[in-house]
Amino acid sequence: MDLHIEIITQVLFWGLYTGCIYILLATGLNLIFGVMKIVNFAHGEFLMLGTYITFFLFVMSGFNPYVLLCASIPLLVVIGVIVERLCFRPILGTGKLNEIFVSIGLIYIIQNLVARIWTDEWKTIQSPFRDISVDLGIIQVPLDYLIIMAITAILLIGLYIFLHHTWTGRAIRATSQDRKGAMLMGINVERMDMVTFGIGAALAGAAGTLWAVSGQVFNPYMGSIPAIKAFAIIILGGLGSIPGAIVGGLAVGLVENGTAFTLGGAWKDAVSFILLIIVLIIRPTGLFGEDSE
Amino acid sequence: MKHWVPYSLVMSIIIIGALLFSGCTEQPASESAESIKIGVVASMSGPASTTGKDIWQSAELAAQEINAQGGVFVKDLNKKIPITLVQGDDESTREGGIKAVSKLITQDNVDLLVGGYSSAVVSAHQAIVADNKVPYIISGGSSTSVSHRDDIDTSYMFFHRPNTDDSAKASILFIDEVVRPEIYKKFNLPDDRPLRLALIFQDSPFGKGQQGAVRNLTQDLNLPIEIVAEETFKMGESDFRTALTSVKAKKPDIIYAVTFLNELIPLTQQARRDVGLDTLILSIENNDDPDYYSGVGELGDFTLMESRFSPYAIPKGSTSERTKKFLEDFQTKYGGFSGMMGAATYESVYIAAKAIENAGTVQKDAVRKALSEISMDHMIEVMKDQVIRFSPDYQESSFDLYVEQMKMDPAVGEIRPHIVWPESIRETGFVIPDWYQPGSP
Repeated sequence: MDLHIEIITQVLFWGLYTGCIYILLATGLNLIFGVMKIVNFAHGEFLMLGTYITFFLFVMSGFNPYVLLCASIPLLVVIGVIVERLCFRPILGTGKLNEIFVSIGLIYIIQNLVARIWTDEWKTIQSPFRDISVDLGIIQVPLDYLIIMAITAILLIGLYIFLHHTWTGRAIRATSQDRKGAMLMGINVERMDMVTFGIGAALAGAAGTLWAVSGQVFNPYMGSIPAIKAFAIIILGGLGSIPGAIVGGLAVGLVENGTAFTLGGAWKDAVSFILLIIVLIIRPTGLFGEDSE
Repeated sequence: MKHWVPYSLVMSIIIIGALLFSGCTEQPASESAESIKIGVVASMSGPASTTGKDIWQSAELAAQEINAQGGVFVKDLNKKIPITLVQGDDESTREGGIKAVSKLITQDNVDLLVGGYSSAVVSAHQAIVADNKVPYIISGGSSTSVSHRDDIDTSYMFFHRPNTDDSAKASILFIDEVVRPEIYKKFNLPDDRPLRLALIFQDSPFGKGQQGAVRNLTQDLNLPIEIVAEETFKMGESDFRTALTSVKAKKPDIIYAVTFLNELIPLTQQARRDVGLDTLILSIENNDDPDYYSGVGELGDFTLMESRFSPYAIPKGSTSERTKKFLEDFQTKYGGFSGMMGAATYESVYIAAKAIENAGTVQKDAVRKALSEISMDHMIEVMKDQVIRFSPDYQESSFDLYVEQMKMDPAVGEIRPHIVWPESIRETGFVIPDWYQPGSP
């Protein structure tokens, strides 16, 4: 019986870890959607860029990869701002089809650029804490996963403080709630778009750094599947809702791992999407979504 | 409105750039009418791109060597004809494979095809090959569901690889003959206790082929092996923590992992480091690649691998000199070592050349006949009876397979393989690591 509890706790723990990666990815995606109302299919490429920037900085500097978050996050903000300015702002409001095709084009551009620079071979990096485990009573877990969960929590708290207690954050929320109203109040909504896109890309990039540090392999094509999951999560949680992205990310992480444990890994995506369909049947706007969306 | 002009310009540049980059595949050097066109089906992009690059580069090396000798003698033309390779990127997907093979056959008009990796991808484009009757030497697609299928005409397809039954048999025999006695001796386990085997396999024809083969073998040979866990994962998976936790709960003595290279590295690391599985992991031949040795790190120490070609362990015998030369030439040309899939493709180009020479023509039906009758000395992989030939039933070649155990080499900071089975080519004995714990008593 003890073993049973240990195993179940371990599976829940892996679910939490997976949920953390999904939360960061989906929160960024939802933030961008909430403010700009664009569907960015290339969001997973920011996660991939996060892994490669971390890899590059790690190889160049030899610094602790967690410390490198301080460099990779600002870099991803800059990349996000450039992408928004060059690719999305010109076509904003010209139709969803344009946004979709621009984001699909971006997937190929970013993937091929990364493959050109770093080749398309699978890469890994090793955490300096890889040999350290922590005894949580029921289970022993590698320290890295606790750090990843803590960093996710810190980033989310930081995002909350930014959105609720700074002028720019409040302006972003105002733009998200009523774009025209925000413009009439003197908010430069285009600047908010830019900042939001930068933050969204940075959150995805942070997810990428944590993905890499946790020992998962990565190559230029690894962003597509997590991006699809992130879309499912924001629909599940409610389009434009940050709490929805957090709850949805955790739910999908736990369901995926629970499914892998009970039915096998081949079923985990199918069951996640069954969960999505069930939620949408019961609540078409998602868990935290509003009717206007 | 005036803003649209520069933005349109920027967008145009981006789109053109995307098209240029996405089309960045190596093209044949020349399209001479008097050349033998061999299409190389390789995963140059997508999850299997590391292996795909190995396949393409090895084919290039073989073609270069043959062309350096003047090419292939074709009796009908009474002269030697050079080989031109045409790349077909299957993008590691079924759809990509169909697209690539269709283009190779209908637009590039290749005389023959070599390559192919994933069973799922190969099975998807086999029908096109069958319809167009193009000889195809397949160096991957190890599932018997690919080579033993009867819903299409496979008479133009020749399988230069062991099938899943062959590699599973080598692995299971090794477990029964070597691993079980050593574990039982070291831990004083009763002889009537069956060895506890956990399977973790890709949810694909390749993985299911191995799963079925292991099940059948243990039953058919009446081996004292109990399969205590059967965990699946999707192709391209990188998170195995929960599947491994489930395996750990079943307390196995050994894990048999049926994976691709990009899956085996995280699986091994997560098993040992994250889940704390203090057990042995036996993987299979397609992972015998330099990237495995550099990627897995010290957590790959003492792991086992069934193989037929390794960049770092050369079986003694008649193939060893040529294997060394192949590895040296590959390293000189590409700055690294080839893996098993590269070796098989290298040989496939030579087999193709020999078949065309024997046929005396590039006519496809004549080349097919020559391939079915081919009998040539083995080259860099050890073949049964030291001869490359295809079986009359399913047109499969037959290999002498072996098992390696990895040991950390402090001099290079990576693990290196040592052949531990069979006895005839063994370099060193199988070792049970100090940290190893057997499963339930």
